[in-house]
Amino acid sequence: MTDQIEIIDVQKHYGAFHALKDINLTIPKGQFVALVGPSGCGKSTLLRSIAGLEEISEGTLRIAGEVVNGVPPRRRDLAMVFQSYALYPHMNVRDNLTYALRLKGVSKAERARQADEVARVIGLENLLERYPRELSGGQRQRVAMGRAIIRQPKAFLFDEPLSNLDAALRVRMRKEVRALHDRIGATSVYVTHDQIEAMTMADHVVVLRAGVIEQQGAPMTLYDRPANQFVAGFIGSPAMNFVPAAIGPDGRSVVLELAGNPALPIDIDATPGRQVIAGLRPEHLEIGAPDAEGAATITIGMIERTGSSCYLFAEGESELIIVTGGETQITPGDRIGLSIAPRQVHLFDRDSTVSLRE
Amino acid sequence: MTRLLKSLRDGIGFDTMLIILALSYLFAFAGLPLLYNVIISFQQVDVFSLGTLFHPPAGFDNYVSVFTDPLARRVLINTIIFTLGSVALQFSLGFALALFFHQNFPGSTWLRGLFLAGWILPGLVVGVLWNWLLSGDFGVINHMLRSWGLIDSAIFWRSDTAWSLYAVMLANIWYGTPFNMILLSVGLAAIPNDLYEAAELDGANAWQRFWTITLPMMRSTIGAVLALGVIFTLQQFDLFAAITQGGPAGSSTVAQYWSWELSFREFDFGRGAVISVCMIIVVLFVSLIYVRSTRAETRL
Repeated sequence: MTDQIEIIDVQKHYGAFHALKDINLTIPKGQFVALVGPSGCGKSTLLRSIAGLEEISEGTLRIAGEVVNGVPPRRRDLAMVFQSYALYPHMNVRDNLTYALRLKGVSKAERARQADEVARVIGLENLLERYPRELSGGQRQRVAMGRAIIRQPKAFLFDEPLSNLDAALRVRMRKEVRALHDRIGATSVYVTHDQIEAMTMADHVVVLRAGVIEQQGAPMTLYDRPANQFVAGFIGSPAMNFVPAAIGPDGRSVVLELAGNPALPIDIDATPGRQVIAGLRPEHLEIGAPDAEGAATITIGMIERTGSSCYLFAEGESELIIVTGGETQITPGDRIGLSIAPRQVHLFDRDSTVSLRE
Repeated sequence: MTRLLKSLRDGIGFDTMLIILALSYLFAFAGLPLLYNVIISFQQVDVFSLGTLFHPPAGFDNYVSVFTDPLARRVLINTIIFTLGSVALQFSLGFALALFFHQNFPGSTWLRGLFLAGWILPGLVVGVLWNWLLSGDFGVINHMLRSWGLIDSAIFWRSDTAWSLYAVMLANIWYGTPFNMILLSVGLAAIPNDLYEAAELDGANAWQRFWTITLPMMRSTIGAVLALGVIFTLQQFDLFAAITQGGPAGSSTVAQYWSWELSFREFDFGRGAVISVCMIIVVLFVSLIYVRSTRAETRL
């Protein structure tokens, strides 16, 4: 497998603002990479830098083995799907799809043939003569996708392409985009602020914060082994519970700073007494009898029922959330015991927030 | 009675009243004079019968007389040259400036604002200004042309029959360019930037982006600007009055100026009205283009 996009030590400054810091990322051919992070984290800047719409301040950017620093976007042979779709309003769907081919001087007959073919792939055969203003949001989204795939570019860049769609359509398009990627064997870079999109669609997820790559890896690696508290809190929904804690005197347990100072067993070697933050995923907490050995006892303050599952909120200031089955009989005011498998306890250094797991 | 009062204060009566107010204003100050103008173009009006409302009918005499006038041909040609020349150059310069300031270099907004300074001046002031610039003996333009070695002897821009129309046209282009620039700037600003980015990634160079994105997206703005340009140029009077007074020997007389001359210099109101009626027809036609353009704008 060859590397389609290589980003080496890239920096981006806007005046005094350091937007991208020491970015290193290698994207093999055919991979689907998601750039994810909160707004302002630099994910769109990174995507636009790959596209050439932003210039990088330092570092090297290679596409298909060629250094493209300073190469204008139109010579990079990349296709981009914009959040706003950026369809040409004065052209009908057919002309939108074939705009790039027209610029390349492809004959009219050949353009028509390819437009028909792409329209079939994305399911727009009957809309070729329509104008963008006559299309629904989902149809526009498809045209934007079609405009990208007709070019057979070196890579696809997606800038939050699904964020303007309603929830149901978003779930469907998520699958379609991924299926399309697999079918045409494309290399894709996908920017999103939605960690579910990143987790479900990508082979490789890059978590960014404040211009820095916090962690990158396969989706489940980020979920199982988050490198720091930020990634742990960002990946997973509802978000991981963080509880200030200290390592127990035996080094084999962690004492939570909750009422009653409950201790949970751990499988990480740590210095006894070390100040840490314990990370407990809401879906990993198991409910048992209160006041049991090796369990934390809490009182339930509020319950949210989504139907398929229930979110239990602990009373008090801990903001602890527990996810349990939709059929639970627990009611607000109940006292319950919480336990968790030792390998599912995450520990982060109190100061650096780095994970204690290697 | 109380119901009517209530409706007038808060209801459909109030809305109707507002519309009637606006319409009656338009009718009294635009509709009636226009209508009266058409009527007197078919009547014999002279300085003695001016005081009466109705005049002896003249049939098409006024029309025949205007169109057979030895000056008519000159005026028609002058009007066409003046209008097309002014609009074409105002538009091209305005578009070029709008594109230039659209590059958003430091200070571009400021400079663009300064360009409007010319446009806010009254026409007569602009006329006086250009009188000085164009003056044959001590004008700046002659001085510049001479020092660059382009001419040997002074050109008398305003009193040379070959140049007089172009002297006014030059002033008019200067006067109207900022207005074109501002309208076109607004049109340019309305094109979303991501269209250019999409086109750039699709492989379009700057020239192709201009032809395939900017121009088609500006179509309705351009239509409106050109239509307004023709309308405003046909309204231009101050500059003629200030610079050449239509002379010498009618060499810079255009329709609107001739109409004024016939009516208020020669008190031949019937013939003056004939010219305004012809101009109304032209302006009406151009207005239709304008309305169509602005309607297309809301569709995009």
